[in-house]
Amino acid sequence: MRQGLIRDLTLGLLGLALLLVLPAVFPHPSLRDFLIYVIAYGLLAMSLNLLVGLTGLVSFGHAAYFATGAYIFGLLMQSGSVSIPLAMLAALAGTALLALVIGAICVRLKEIYFSFITLAFQMFIHSIILTWVDLTGGDQGLRGGIPRPPFLGIDLGQPGTLYIFCAVVFVLCLLLMRQVWQSPFGYTLRMIRDNPTRASFLGVNVVRMKLGVFVLAGTMASMAGIIMALFVSGAFPEFGFWTTSGEAIFMIMLGGTQVFLGPVIGAFLLQLLNHYVTIYTHHHGLVLGILILAIVLGLRRGVADYVADWISERRRAAAPLGREEGAETAPPTPPAARKMVG
Amino acid sequence: MFKSAKQVGRRALLAGAATGAAVLASPRIAGAQAKVIRVGMPTILSGRVAILGTSSRYAVQYAFARINEAGGLGGRTLQLVERDSKGRPDEAAKVTRDLINNDGCEIIIDGEASSGAFAVHEVVRELPVLCIHTNSETSSLTADPKLRIATAFRCARQGIHDAVAGGVYASAISKQRGLKRWMTCSPDYAYGRDNTAEFLEFARMYDPSIEVVDQVWPRLFAPDYTENITKALQVRPQAMYSALWGGDLVSFIEQSNLYRLFANIALFSSSLGDPPVLTAIKQLPPGLHTAYRYNRNYPEKPSNTAFADGFTGVAKHEPTNWAWQNYVACQFIAEALKRTGGRTEGAALAAELKGMAIQSPLAVEEVLTLRDSDHTLIGYPTAWGRTVPKAPFVEDFATTPWSRILEMETQWKRQKGYA
Repeated sequence: MRQGLIRDLTLGLLGLALLLVLPAVFPHPSLRDFLIYVIAYGLLAMSLNLLVGLTGLVSFGHAAYFATGAYIFGLLMQSGSVSIPLAMLAALAGTALLALVIGAICVRLKEIYFSFITLAFQMFIHSIILTWVDLTGGDQGLRGGIPRPPFLGIDLGQPGTLYIFCAVVFVLCLLLMRQVWQSPFGYTLRMIRDNPTRASFLGVNVVRMKLGVFVLAGTMASMAGIIMALFVSGAFPEFGFWTTSGEAIFMIMLGGTQVFLGPVIGAFLLQLLNHYVTIYTHHHGLVLGILILAIVLGLRRGVADYVADWISERRRAAAPLGREEGAETAPPTPPAARKMVG
Repeated sequence: MFKSAKQVGRRALLAGAATGAAVLASPRIAGAQAKVIRVGMPTILSGRVAILGTSSRYAVQYAFARINEAGGLGGRTLQLVERDSKGRPDEAAKVTRDLINNDGCEIIIDGEASSGAFAVHEVVRELPVLCIHTNSETSSLTADPKLRIATAFRCARQGIHDAVAGGVYASAISKQRGLKRWMTCSPDYAYGRDNTAEFLEFARMYDPSIEVVDQVWPRLFAPDYTENITKALQVRPQAMYSALWGGDLVSFIEQSNLYRLFANIALFSSSLGDPPVLTAIKQLPPGLHTAYRYNRNYPEKPSNTAFADGFTGVAKHEPTNWAWQNYVACQFIAEALKRTGGRTEGAALAAELKGMAIQSPLAVEEVLTLRDSDHTLIGYPTAWGRTVPKAPFVEDFATTPWSRILEMETQWKRQKGYA
């Protein structure tokens, strides 16, 4: 466990170093902007994968927490009464509370019923954003920009500083989610995903476990929303629309559910495709659809899952016969997850 | 063989490096010589409201082609670089940043509607190039002093101007024909509700006898309006106001035709006057009242007809409301560039644009002006007319004097705390 933690921390630091070095090597503002966009949507997809890949709960309404984080943060900053860290903490706490209330109702349902009730709550929150015009600005969004006063000598008004801040927050969130992924709690969630009845017989409080990961996923999505609000200097109802949740599910399907960083890879690929396809054609929906269809039907799983399985099979094939049975290989993609991505 | 390869290798390396450097450098040299001014346009080019973006793009392409054919601006030509935001504000912000940072655009024509325009506005606050919003009709974008940015302007109609003109027109008709019982049918979102409230406010200000007997709010992009139509048949109002637009308005009118709804009810529409909407309706009832969106016969000027013909030649359809707004924005940009001698710094162009007045096919009085105080367009057509079955489908335009609109706008700004 401790060894794993040290390995994760080392990898996290290397990842952070890579994120910080990239804009220094290629000092182009558009690269920085692109990476912030990937960070925000990657974090949203990663948080959703705590539900989808780890627990087997396919939420169609995850963008509700993305929007909630963005709006609470934006409103607090526009009030001018709090600093950025305090507004961030309040947004995270507020979203966690909302996820707790919604989750307490949703996690009692299973499969498609769970998916639809999460979608219903998302549309409810989206409607509140649209109709509470005095507070949220309605369909125009939060107008007037989000102030970024310096705190502790950090000025997020500087694009370079904003990028570094987003990269650090992103890596910290990934490390936190990685610990959950590898913890006994994470393995309990896998057991619930694969066989909730058995987990219940073994004394696991299934509802409480699901609620715990639901709140954590909502809070992480909120962080993604805060990053997006900082980047675009606003919050918009589209953040909480079902298409944003759909996009996060797309990213997971593209990247994979079983490799920890699969959703980030999916977010990167989708944003990269989106960026270049949009430049060359306005029929980007068609092009993206065909590409994603080819990946999903051709590989029958996300790109990262496919590569992980391929490496695993190569290792197994290369291992001497005597060692094959005891060899430490990555577990095959569980049937439930295969069903979902296929 | 070996010797030859070795000799070639050394020389080839040097020659290759020199050629490579020349090839790599050539686009920059060529770019510098051509002195192209790149103008970026974030807009909606896909989805249900793609015509907003496509007609805006055609208008700018048409305007730039004319400017470039006439020799450009001090030897510099204009080039449009457009990007699809897909109607998403965060995407609008991202593509605007890309257009400025990556594509080297020195000016932004913001072809976004609604919230996208506010997202672009915030980008321009950080990256202060000249930005002209061409499609957002939300008054607060330029009216609210808290949102104001030195290098951002609006070259588009706006809600408050239309509300005053609509109120004046509707109240005159209601007094003349005794239309007391009114109903509204507008889309259920902020624009639909705000637009309807402002129209009624001004209509009742000029004719206090107007009574609103019912209001229905179909959801945006609803395919079926039967429920709303039967409600109108039950309530039997004398007049109806609708802020429905685009395909929704087409569906509403075609479904209303089945019930002969407008045989006894006078319809006042904020958006029917857009040529694509008018041509999409298979049986356009005569005598419906609509705000001006665009018409090749109004303002009645040869230059307006020439614009309509030129645009139609490029786009293969009549100009839209968005088309003329973007065309006029290009006229302002060209004039500002002329005055700065081709300099594209945001502050320099903004200094020229503040209060600039130009002759334009779309000016209803003498000129179109980008008002100094709030960087917004005034003097454009706000008239209302009546539908006829033959192209261009709207005639008898009744104009509200701009002096009256501006007077009411000032009062409205005071009420809102903007002035």
